[in-house]
Amino acid sequence: MAGIWIIAENREQTLELLRIGGELSTKTGTRLSVFLSQDRERARDYIECGADEVFILPPLTEDQSLDAYIPRIIVEAQQDVPDLILIPATARGKDMAARIAARIDTGLCSSCMALTFDDNHASFVMERLAYGGAAVQKVVCTTRPAMATIPPRTYEPADAVKGRQGQIINLPAHSPSTVKILEKKVKERESKDITESRLLVCVGRGVEKKEDVALARQLADVLHGELACTRPIAEEYHWLAEELCIGLSGAQVEPDLYLGLGVSGQVQHVTGFRNAKVIAAVNKDENAPIFKAADFGIVGDLYDVVPKLIAELKK
Amino acid sequence: MDFMLTEEQELIRQNMREFCKNFVDPIAVEIDENSRHPAELLQKLAEGDWLGMPIPQEYGGAGADQLTFVIAVEELSRSCASTGFTLSTHAGIVCMMFLLFGTEDQKKKFLIPLAKGQHLGAFALTEPAAGTDIMAATASAIIDGNDYVINGTKTFTTNGPTAETYLVFVWTDKAAGRKGMSTLIVPRSAPGLRVGEHFKKMGLRSSQTSEMIFKDCRVPRENLLGKEGMGLQMAMTGFDHGRIGIAAQCVGILQAALDESIRYSKERVQFGTPIARHQAIAWMIADMATALSAARFLTYHAAWLKNQNKPFSKEAAMAKLYASEAAMKHTVKAVQIHGGYGYCKGAKVERLMRDAKITEIYEGTSEAQRMVISGNVLR
Amino acid sequence: MPAIIACFKWVVDEAYVRRMASGELDFSSVDYKIGEYDRNAIEEAVRLKETLGGSAIGITVSVPEATKGVKDALSRGCDQACFIADSSFGNLEPSQTAAILAEVIHSRIQSFDLIICGEGSSDLYAQQVGPRLSEKLGIPSVSFVQKLSIEGGKLLAERRVEEGIEVIAAPLPALVTVLPDINVPRIPGVKDTLMASKKPVVTIKKDELQPLGEACLQTLSITASRIERTCERFGTNAAEISRFVGSLRKTGVIR
Repeated sequence: MAGIWIIAENREQTLELLRIGGELSTKTGTRLSVFLSQDRERARDYIECGADEVFILPPLTEDQSLDAYIPRIIVEAQQDVPDLILIPATARGKDMAARIAARIDTGLCSSCMALTFDDNHASFVMERLAYGGAAVQKVVCTTRPAMATIPPRTYEPADAVKGRQGQIINLPAHSPSTVKILEKKVKERESKDITESRLLVCVGRGVEKKEDVALARQLADVLHGELACTRPIAEEYHWLAEELCIGLSGAQVEPDLYLGLGVSGQVQHVTGFRNAKVIAAVNKDENAPIFKAADFGIVGDLYDVVPKLIAELKK
Repeated sequence: MDFMLTEEQELIRQNMREFCKNFVDPIAVEIDENSRHPAELLQKLAEGDWLGMPIPQEYGGAGADQLTFVIAVEELSRSCASTGFTLSTHAGIVCMMFLLFGTEDQKKKFLIPLAKGQHLGAFALTEPAAGTDIMAATASAIIDGNDYVINGTKTFTTNGPTAETYLVFVWTDKAAGRKGMSTLIVPRSAPGLRVGEHFKKMGLRSSQTSEMIFKDCRVPRENLLGKEGMGLQMAMTGFDHGRIGIAAQCVGILQAALDESIRYSKERVQFGTPIARHQAIAWMIADMATALSAARFLTYHAAWLKNQNKPFSKEAAMAKLYASEAAMKHTVKAVQIHGGYGYCKGAKVERLMRDAKITEIYEGTSEAQRMVISGNVLR
Repeated sequence: MPAIIACFKWVVDEAYVRRMASGELDFSSVDYKIGEYDRNAIEEAVRLKETLGGSAIGITVSVPEATKGVKDALSRGCDQACFIADSSFGNLEPSQTAAILAEVIHSRIQSFDLIICGEGSSDLYAQQVGPRLSEKLGIPSVSFVQKLSIEGGKLLAERRVEEGIEVIAAPLPALVTVLPDINVPRIPGVKDTLMASKKPVVTIKKDELQPLGEACLQTLSITASRIERTCERFGTNAAEISRFVGSLRKTGVIR
């Protein structure tokens, strides 16, 4: 077999891909390679974390984006057809992956959340969510290489082994892309990064007015947690910042505790926190789907329940 | 038999649903509570061509057929029966009468701004002493030079306080009896017209209703709609159309009552189980769903007959009679299902129940519908 | 005068997908709609056309029953539609959809300035067709765009990435995929809906296309997703609230 490739974007996610890539390369007895932009220091870091070889792509000018590497990666993939290419499911990663897959005529499992090697069929079995998270679609790629984009935090980061050796190979330059970046505006976060929070209190449509978000905030404060919300709260009502949205098209979170207030539990939303350690919910609709996804549920009016919770927690 | 709606009809239902979710649902409680005319909502309805729906495009309308119009009234009433009625009266009766009986000049002058939703229309027939007994009306008009001079009082005029164009039924030859009434087009600016205050009603509160007082009110002779003496016949035609609209409004009310009852009965737990699993409640909901289907089919059938240019007077009366009585009966049940919560302001079923009552009264009481229907079948 | 193509997919409305006790999904009472994200694509194409002139063309690859979706797209302001229909097109894989779109756009539409796709389909949400299509046509593409304009014969777009926003310029013709907050899709007026069927629709059948390639991805199964949770219920009186907080404490997630 010709190996498993990882296209690196940021370090955090590359380490996560190195974890699953390493497992699969051990299992299939193949090499694990990383494609990385310019940074030799980082290349050694990745080798210690499991890469057998790191291909260094030449630096990009200010106005070029990662997608400028696509032609070079395609050339390499056509020369030395790998078995599997892993790419982080970030905005740039998802775009690159689909375009590479199109050019080398192969299949791509988008936002893959489970990836195993089936010995009997010598194929990678990949799982992803469909229908807004209501369904799990299990796929195999019938063409080589198989490709997958993997969402952040799907795997634990790979562990470093001090002194682990590997090859570093420089790749030649490429012609620049006609797509040019004129300006980069770094987002000023209005609030804390919810993916980092241990405890999240999530506001749903059961909260009736913008002012009532304060009630949820009080509860979050008592818990020493952060506020998050469902998509309509941010996008339709604009009560909270968009980066606080949890769900399929928002943040994927894995807190110790997710506590939903007036959250009905549409699958698109639940998908974003299904790996939380503990899930709790307050909703007056006892048939709300959130209760099927929760460990602990209070069937009741949040306006009645939340003040009682705050009082109880303060005891 | 073909019970399939066209793709256009399905899309129009979907679009009206979305319109209601975005613009009607957020204000429905408030406009009921304050008896407020939602001018901003009417403006939005005009932008989407809803206010001229059944009128051909050459006269400023959208050119939809009667069944498509019924679907729109139904969906709008499901969110707000008051606004549904405003639409039904304006487009289904007033615009329709201009289309059926107006001269080319009248259509250009009055129908186009009405169908475009720039003006609202009203239909002024009922008088303080003349409800179902229209012949007891007293308002009259005499010719003076080039003008009609109108004297009398109309009441319960829907859209009275907000309309720009009124169709007013007056005696021009009382001695001629049923052939003595005529229909005059009265603009709001006509000298001698005074529009009364909006009535405080039990339900349908944001639909505007008032008295209209005519004191030597002058309109030019060209404002006669149709011919002299045709007024009563034209009013009956207006009612036939209007009844399909009321039936559609009732279907919307019933659908809303069912939606609310299903949602609440699954949520509300008593004796350890959602009340929907108690047979007493489940059967109320079964009856409600059945009545909704029956009302809907009667209504769509009447609209379909009108589309086919077949007589539909009896079927419109049947649809209106059945749908209005079903709406009243089942909104009461919906409040019952909601218990004390349903009796409080803010519960949608409470509004539905108040709104439903008028449907058994206006555009012909249930008793009047039975007169029309029995008159037809016993002929 | 630009010609702008909006791609859309006629999808199962996921609100109607029910989960049976067996864990299988029940599609028996589903309704269909234009994918939520694709409505933004259509709206953006129509918005650009209305400001710049030119025309907006809606294009979809679907089953023959999707005629309602084609009318919906036309009622949303597309001037014409291209409907590639076959009863076998209900479960295409992104590589196949992109190949069909590329072939039809290349052979039938030829001259265009911009192709707009939604960020993903609201059923499978693979987010691949847009970027794959750009590669098949050999045109530049920008994904996840939250704002766009055409100025001086160039595409200017704000692309949203994890760290913030990149303002991008690209030569035309180009392809973009747009995010939901780029616009608010209009609600078609009555006339828009009634006049939709009067607009030109080019229907292309499978036998007019080159033979369809095999799917690169083979779906082994689609099953209801399962979340194993204890689903313990609590009431709202003081004792129950205290029991609830106690349960949370026992798990160790709060102190």
